[in-house]
Amino acid sequence: MSKKIDGNVPQGPIEELWDKHRFKMKLVNPANKRKFKIIIVGTGLAGASAASTLAELGYEIDSFCIQDSPRRAHSIAAQGGINAAKNYPNDGDSVWRLFYDTVKGGDYRAREANVYRLAQVANNIIDQCAAQGVPFARDYGGTLANRSFGGAQVSRTFYARGQTGQQLLLGAYSSMMKEVNKGKIKVHTRQEMVELVLVDGKARGIITRNIITGEFEKHSGDAVLLCTGGYGNVYFLSTNAMTSNSSAAWKAYKKGAYFANPCYTQIHPTCIPVHGENQSKLTLMSESLRNDGRVWVPKAKADERKAADIPDEERDYYLERKYPSFGNLVPRDVASRNGKQAVDEGKGVGATKVAVFLDFRDAIKRDGLDTIKEKYGNLFDMYNRITDEDPYSVPMRIYPAVHYTMGGLWVDYHLQTSIPGCFCLGEANFSDHGANRLGASALMQGLADGYFVIPYTLGNYLVTEKPDQNKIDTDHPEFETSLKSAKDRFNKLLGINGGRSVDSFHKELGQYMWEYVGMARNEAGLKTGIKKIAELRAKFWKDVKVTGTNDGINIELEKANRVADFLELGELMARDALERPESCGGHFREESQTDENEALRQDDNFCHVAAWEYTGDNKEPNRNVEELDFPNVPLTQRSYK
Amino acid sequence: MSDKNNMTLNLKIWRQEGANVKGSIVDYRLEGVSPDMSFLEMLDLLNENLINQGQDPVAFDHDCREGICGMCSLMINGQAHGPERETTTCQLHMRKFKDGDTIVIEPWRAKAFPLHKDLMVDRSAFDDIMSAGGYVNVSTGNAQDANSILIGKDKAELAMDAASCIGCAACVASCKNASAMLFVSAKVSQLALLPQGQEEASTRVQNMVSKMDDLGFGNCTNEAECEAQCPKGIKISNISRMNREYLKASVTAHH
Amino acid sequence: MASKLMKTLNSSIVKKQMMAVSGLMLCGFLVSHLIGNCLIYVGAEAFNTYAHTLITNPLIYLAEAILASLFLFHIGMGIRLTVENRKARPDRYFVKQHSGAGATFASATMPYTGLIILAFLIYHLINFKYGPYYTISHGGVEMRDLYRLLIEYFSAPLNVFIYIACMVALGIHLSHGFWSAFQSLGVDHPKYTPCIKLIAKLYAVAMTVGYSALPLYCYLAKGGY
Repeated sequence: MSKKIDGNVPQGPIEELWDKHRFKMKLVNPANKRKFKIIIVGTGLAGASAASTLAELGYEIDSFCIQDSPRRAHSIAAQGGINAAKNYPNDGDSVWRLFYDTVKGGDYRAREANVYRLAQVANNIIDQCAAQGVPFARDYGGTLANRSFGGAQVSRTFYARGQTGQQLLLGAYSSMMKEVNKGKIKVHTRQEMVELVLVDGKARGIITRNIITGEFEKHSGDAVLLCTGGYGNVYFLSTNAMTSNSSAAWKAYKKGAYFANPCYTQIHPTCIPVHGENQSKLTLMSESLRNDGRVWVPKAKADERKAADIPDEERDYYLERKYPSFGNLVPRDVASRNGKQAVDEGKGVGATKVAVFLDFRDAIKRDGLDTIKEKYGNLFDMYNRITDEDPYSVPMRIYPAVHYTMGGLWVDYHLQTSIPGCFCLGEANFSDHGANRLGASALMQGLADGYFVIPYTLGNYLVTEKPDQNKIDTDHPEFETSLKSAKDRFNKLLGINGGRSVDSFHKELGQYMWEYVGMARNEAGLKTGIKKIAELRAKFWKDVKVTGTNDGINIELEKANRVADFLELGELMARDALERPESCGGHFREESQTDENEALRQDDNFCHVAAWEYTGDNKEPNRNVEELDFPNVPLTQRSYK
Repeated sequence: MSDKNNMTLNLKIWRQEGANVKGSIVDYRLEGVSPDMSFLEMLDLLNENLINQGQDPVAFDHDCREGICGMCSLMINGQAHGPERETTTCQLHMRKFKDGDTIVIEPWRAKAFPLHKDLMVDRSAFDDIMSAGGYVNVSTGNAQDANSILIGKDKAELAMDAASCIGCAACVASCKNASAMLFVSAKVSQLALLPQGQEEASTRVQNMVSKMDDLGFGNCTNEAECEAQCPKGIKISNISRMNREYLKASVTAHH
Repeated sequence: MASKLMKTLNSSIVKKQMMAVSGLMLCGFLVSHLIGNCLIYVGAEAFNTYAHTLITNPLIYLAEAILASLFLFHIGMGIRLTVENRKARPDRYFVKQHSGAGATFASATMPYTGLIILAFLIYHLINFKYGPYYTISHGGVEMRDLYRLLIEYFSAPLNVFIYIACMVALGIHLSHGFWSAFQSLGVDHPKYTPCIKLIAKLYAVAMTVGYSALPLYCYLAKGGY
């Protein structure tokens, strides 16, 4: 049963939508705000900014994070920067251009109104962060520095060295700490959300598991904000942190929140390649390296010579060859796909043959060693530390890796999921990046949602739905039911006592995901993938081995709980990819490509959001559809030739 | 580059079941360690072996594994984050060790960091210090245009140097006095260097230092071991700046 | 108000700043004491007259009181800080290694060199200030013959050795302490800090050599006395 769903976007000219809507939305009386308790899960950019801003407004906040401090959420690892259409460099930027680029970059699979609002508030984010003391890069005169990033034609990226995510997160975190000091935020660290509690169809609380004690806790509130990040770890190897997981979002999905476009994953082209079986995670190298590095593979297959021994005429600079105008600076998805293609053809390099070269020889010759050192010294050092190779003298080896997930919980214009009172912010929701996220846009979206969108839309919900008139405490039977179901699940995991470790299942799932739901997908592969994942899931529930008990710290138990959810999500991703036979952005279906092997959209049939609705375990979910229209950014085929 | 699994290590790891239980060093022999593994991947391998033998895996903190979240810790052969300078444990690779090496692995130790289990400690004291004043009191929506606050490049760079602290607490762990001065001074310095932080500069430094003292951290004896073992190379000149700020605040502030 | 003042005085930073100030003042005393001592090289009359002038000035009691309280304060605070710092890590490490780039021998042994200096101080006062009272007349004025006491005392090689050993400990203490005081007081600058560190080393060497030269001089030059 597929339904048409509506994003609740107000009507009117796009430039005025948000301003007019902000006026129309209802306000909570200042004196009443303290009567509302808001549960916020996750303390990344979205969660921390929402927590601090809502606390400033007067709400009582219960904030939860899985790490030992809110400051460690994985937003901290973002390197490149944050976009805003400040047009400080006077190079022709505008809110409209940022909006336009983001919609186009997302390959026309995002909601225009959301993207416009994002572009609008981006400027406020920079102001806000500067006021908090975020040490953005500056020019000599003391004004903010900008750089061009991710192939954008304007310099609109603000940055703090290669640690922009860290600095923005620490800004939001310190803002949170300010409210902790005032008693407005209570931070619950080392807690993992294991259930969403609904009362009368509305989100009224969560069940958490205390990672230190193993105890389950009930927390009630007037609304629940999920700011729990992306699900890239479904691939086992990704640039995500080890504890990044999909479980909170998945619990919401199973309680009725739609999961939108799960197949949209971003594979980043410049990561350090896998070195061996025991590898636990992948490390991203900034995209900026492609400004000076040249990507190549040997023309001959299985060439065993050292890079330096391969003469230029026997090298294939395939990006420059195929895309003469963009060359090595093609968007992430194009670069990634071409890298995989070269490796699949047997032209991969290095001991594992699963890598391509990123060569700085010519840049060093042209600009001198010192210039290159100054620009990329940190990155080269990091590469050297990890691989033990000196990228100044031998080319770097790179390979694509899973980096970001554009899909996530479906939300309307108010960032509310299909469960009333359950909101979803940041990477965890699906809304703003369409099928492909542009560089330096993730930080922008997380902070936009938390600082400048949710404070308005949440207030409107609270006044409209009046959850305060029906105070629910944790003795409510729904809390008991959810608590029991969470406990049962963990006990079940502990009771299996099989023969295989959690990681071995996770690795196997990752292999299937990479193989069948990776960079290039086709019908037969996706069908195989769905089957294999379902089989693996069945095996998991029979044969997983979880050591220890539920009392106290049990890392294996935590992991098992998350992997169990990944095993379900993985299948939904494959299913979503199967049901979207077009190619768009990060989703490439081999059946749908241009003569030049570029992604070919099928706008007549697939210019929509697929919002999956849970219907029961081992039952096919419903694929609900939100139609997208693009009155402001005309649909065109991307070309980087 | 090599994929040879050719190292065997003798590990001496602090095992302690819980906060109120006595712990001890336990010996493990680990084979098949590849020089390309990170230190934490080496521990993953040990844990995989322990799980297969039905034993309790070693609990240790980690998350991003790219050296920025500050979650990983470990005292490795008596040095915070191990022997490599400006490197977190997660970015330390096994090629820095030799086949047959004995490696002693211990948790951070400080009165202010109670132990949870094995190598995991409670560093929430750092959050407590931050909440005492590690911020600019500005609510969302109040901000003026970012370019109306001019900050010279040199100052911005110095502030950024201090701001790159990842809060891992290697400074406390490596200090013979378990002092948190480097951590506190990094935040005090960042905000003292910037115009945004001036209005609250004196209350900030007083409140943060007072919280630090209350939490039971030791005092600074200017040995600079924190600087040497800080994975982000935070300089003790920040401590000096904090001392200056504190002195200024004690002499001039009205409270 | 008083409690706020106490809170400030008890704060970690102010405690070390008080250590720094008292330490630097003692450094000043060391210099003046050394200069006075150098009159030995001029001769008995110069030295004894200088000492006599000092001792007979009524302000000497005030100066000695200040000096004594400086010493006592510096020592007491040092002991207090050491004890507090040890409490900050109740469980010791199984293995602890210096990185090689931070702590030095001098910095790591401050409490011990401090205690050696304390012991020396007591010994020094017993031997000289409260030692044998010889008299001599210079220019018709009866005064204490400290010169003789010194020469006699340093004719014993063991005394020379103990004295010099203690001065080495003092030098080690100063080589960290002098710079450390500036760091504690917040004097730090990319240009001047390296100078201060250099001056600290030179100062430490100067004090050790200066104070060691005296017993050696007494022993070598006047040993046959």
